[in-house]
Amino acid sequence: MKKKSFHFEDYTESKINEKNSSNNFIEISSSRVIFLSTIFLFLLFVCSIKVIYLSLSPKKEFNIKSSKVEFVKNRRDIVDRNGSVVATNVNLYDVGIRPQLLGDQEKKQLLIKLALLIPDLNLIKIKKKLKKNEFFWLGKRLTPQEKDEIWLIGNKSFEFQSKPSRIYPQSYLFSHILGQTDDTNNGISGIEKFLNTNLINKNKIETPINLTLDSNLQHLIRDELVKAQEDFYNIGSAAVLMNVKNGEILSLISLPDYDLNKRVSIQSEKYINKITLGVYELGSVFKTFTIAAALENELINPNTIFKNLEKTLNCGDYTISEHDKLPQNLSAEQILVRSSNIGAVRIAQKLGVEKYRSFLNSLDLLDTINFDLLEVGTPLNFNWGKCKLATTSYGHGITTTPLQIAKAYATLVNGGYEVTPTILANKLKNPKKRERVISKKTSNAINIMLRKVVSLNEGTANFANIEGYEVAGKTGTAVKYNSKNKLNTFVSIFPSSNPQYLLLVMLDEPKPAPNYVYKFPSSLKFPNGYNYKGENRNTSGWNTVVVAGKIIEKIGPILATKNLQASTNF
Amino acid sequence: MINKDKWIKTLPTATFNTDQKIDQLDHDRWESTLIKKNSFSSVKKYSLLTLTFIFGLLVVSVVKNQTRILEKEIESLNASLKSIEFNLAQSILDNEVITSPENISKLAEEYLNTDLRSYKKSQIKSLNNAQEENFISSKSKKKTAKNNEKKLSQEVKLRVSKKIENKKKEIKKLQELYNDPKSIPDEVKGKIAKKIKEKKFELKSLYESPKEVFTFERFGKWSIIQVAKLLIGMPVIPGR
Repeated sequence: MKKKSFHFEDYTESKINEKNSSNNFIEISSSRVIFLSTIFLFLLFVCSIKVIYLSLSPKKEFNIKSSKVEFVKNRRDIVDRNGSVVATNVNLYDVGIRPQLLGDQEKKQLLIKLALLIPDLNLIKIKKKLKKNEFFWLGKRLTPQEKDEIWLIGNKSFEFQSKPSRIYPQSYLFSHILGQTDDTNNGISGIEKFLNTNLINKNKIETPINLTLDSNLQHLIRDELVKAQEDFYNIGSAAVLMNVKNGEILSLISLPDYDLNKRVSIQSEKYINKITLGVYELGSVFKTFTIAAALENELINPNTIFKNLEKTLNCGDYTISEHDKLPQNLSAEQILVRSSNIGAVRIAQKLGVEKYRSFLNSLDLLDTINFDLLEVGTPLNFNWGKCKLATTSYGHGITTTPLQIAKAYATLVNGGYEVTPTILANKLKNPKKRERVISKKTSNAINIMLRKVVSLNEGTANFANIEGYEVAGKTGTAVKYNSKNKLNTFVSIFPSSNPQYLLLVMLDEPKPAPNYVYKFPSSLKFPNGYNYKGENRNTSGWNTVVVAGKIIEKIGPILATKNLQASTNF
Repeated sequence: MINKDKWIKTLPTATFNTDQKIDQLDHDRWESTLIKKNSFSSVKKYSLLTLTFIFGLLVVSVVKNQTRILEKEIESLNASLKSIEFNLAQSILDNEVITSPENISKLAEEYLNTDLRSYKKSQIKSLNNAQEENFISSKSKKKTAKNNEKKLSQEVKLRVSKKIENKKKEIKKLQELYNDPKSIPDEVKGKIAKKIKEKKFELKSLYESPKEVFTFERFGKWSIIQVAKLLIGMPVIPGR
C-alpha cells in the first residue's frame, strides 16, 4: 500500500492516501465486527428465547419429582350430622404377580412364602395361575401395611399399583345409605351413586357432604335391632328415626347389613334397604290413615260409636276377622286403640273409595316417593273396589315402603304439614314453605288417640310406654303374602304432647319368644292373662313394640326429649 | 492543427512569486473538509449493546437460578405439606375408627362397670322436712370430718417437709466439709485423730494377740446380739 514514487514524492498526497487507506481499514474491520456481532446477537437471541421458554414452561420439565406417591383426593368426604367422617379416601394398593419372571423353583418358594404370610390364601388357585404364566392380581385394595408385608417378601414378580380408594370407617353402620364405589371410583349404589357427580366435583373436593344421620343414634338403634334378632329370631329388621317437623332422618337401619369395606357382590334380596326399597303390606298401621281420613272429612269424631260390630266379615273369598276378642260397640278412638279390623272397615265404608284414595294420595302413600337414594321402592298398583276398600282400611292388600309410612305419620302428627324425608343436611338449609295436608284439629285428635294406643291398658303398644317420653304410636301386624310368616311394624311418635321424633321399627318374620322375659310397665295392671315368660304371642305388640321401647329408652337422652313437656312448663 | 501555445497561454498563469508556504497543500485544511466516518463510535455502540445484552443474560441466569432454588424450596415445602396433609387425613381416619360408637361401646363393656341398677321413682325415698334437716346435718358432719382429715394430713406434710429440709442442710454441710478438709475445726480433727489412733491400737493388739481380744465377756455380748438379730429378722452376718 505504501508504494513510494521513484521519481516524485508528493508528501501531502501520500498522507491523504495514507489516511484514506486507514479509513478503509476501519471500514472493513467495522463491517466485520458488525457481521460477527450480528451472528453473536443472533446466537444470544436464540439462547434468550430458550431461557424465556424454560422460564415459562411448566414445572414438570425441569423440577425434581417428589419421591412420595401423591395422594389425590378424587371424591368428596361424607360426614354425619356431628361431622364424623363416614366415607373418605385413602391410598390403597393392588398387588399383582408376573409369573413370567420366575423359574419353577422360584415359583415354589414364592408359594411357600405366601402361604406363611397369608394363611387363608387359596394356594391351589395361585399355583394354577402361576403355571399359566400370565399376569394376575394377587390382591386388591390392600392397606399400606399389608402391601409392605408382601413387599418384604422381596420377590421380583410383584407389581404394586397405588390408587385412591373409598373407605368407610364405620364399616356396617351406614351400609344401606352410603352404598359403594367401583374400581374406577364411580358410585354404584346408595348416596355414592345418587350424588356421584356432586361427589367428584373437583371445585368442592375439600368440602364434605353433610348427612342428617347421627352415628351414635345409628349405632344404638342397630345394637337394639341386633339384640332383637337374638330374642325374636327374626330374619331381618329395619328402623328409621325422623324429625317430624322437617323430615330430616337421624337414623336409618336395615338388617342384615354388610361391611362396606369388603367388596362382595351381594345378590340376596334380604340385603335390600328395607326402609326405602322394600315394599310391604304393613297391616294395622293403615288404620290411623282410615280414621284420620274420616276425621278430616268430618264423618266421625273420636267418640263416634260404631255399634254391633260383627265378629267376621266376608268380602269375596276373604274373611275379615279380629285379632282378639273385642267389644261389639267401639268408639272410633277405641277402634284405633284396640286395633279393630271390623271397626276400620266400617269407617272406610263410611268414607267411600274416592275420599279414602285421595286421602292416601295426599299423604304420598300410593306413588313412588322422592328421596335422596336411587334405591326407592314403588307401591304395587291395584284396582280399587269395595273389597279393596275394606282390606286397605286395615292395611292389607295395599303395599308401600316403610319410609312412606313414616312420612305419612309425620304429616299426621306435626300439625298436618307435609314433610319431605331427607338424609342431606343441605336440603334443610333453605326450607320451603310448608304445605298443609290435614287440619290441625285432625292432627291433634290423632295425636291423642295414638298416645292412648300406648298408654291405655287395652292399647296394643303398652310395652313402649317409657316413663317420661310420652310415647304414642300404632302397631301393625301383617302376614306375608303366600306365607305364614309375619311382618311386624310399630310406628312411634314422641313426645306426643309436642311431637318431635318418629321411630318406625319393623321386624321381618319374628317368631314367638317363649324364653323372653317381658318387663311390664309399672303404670299398667298387667299381667292379665299374660305371662312374664313363656309368651307365645307373635303380634307387633309383643315384639316390635318391645324393641321400639328399648330403643327410645336408649336414644331418648341423646335427643333430650325426656320430660320435655314438664321441663317446658317449668 | 491546434496551436498548443495559443491555448496554453489562455490558461491562468501561476504566480510563482507567492509564498511557497501558501502554495504548499495544507492537508489539515483539506482533510477537515472530508466527511468524517464515525466508525469507532458505531463499534462502541455495538459493543455496549452487546455488553448490556450479556449483562442482561447474566442477570436473567442469576434470577433464574434464584427462582430455581426458590422453586426447589417451594417444591420441598409442598411435598412436606402434602405429607402432613396425608398424615392428618390418616390421623383423622384413625380417630374416626377409634372413636366410632361401636368401638367405644366395646371398650365400655370391657372397662366400665356397666352392672348398674336402675331404680324406679317409687323406689326412691322422699324425705320430709325433719329428715331433710337430719340428712343435711349428717352431710355437714361428714364434710367437717373430711376437712379435719385434710388439716391433719396437711400438718404431717409440713413436719415431714421441714425434716427433709433440715436433713438436706446437714448433707450440704457435710459435703462442704468433705470438699474442703481445711475448714474442719482443729478440735474435731483432734477427736478424729484420737479415734483413729485407738482403732489402730485395737487392730494392732488383735493382730498380735487375738486370743486376748476374744474374751468370754465379749463373745457373750456378741452372741446375745446375734440371737436378738435373728429374732428380729435382721441378717446375722451382714452382707449375706
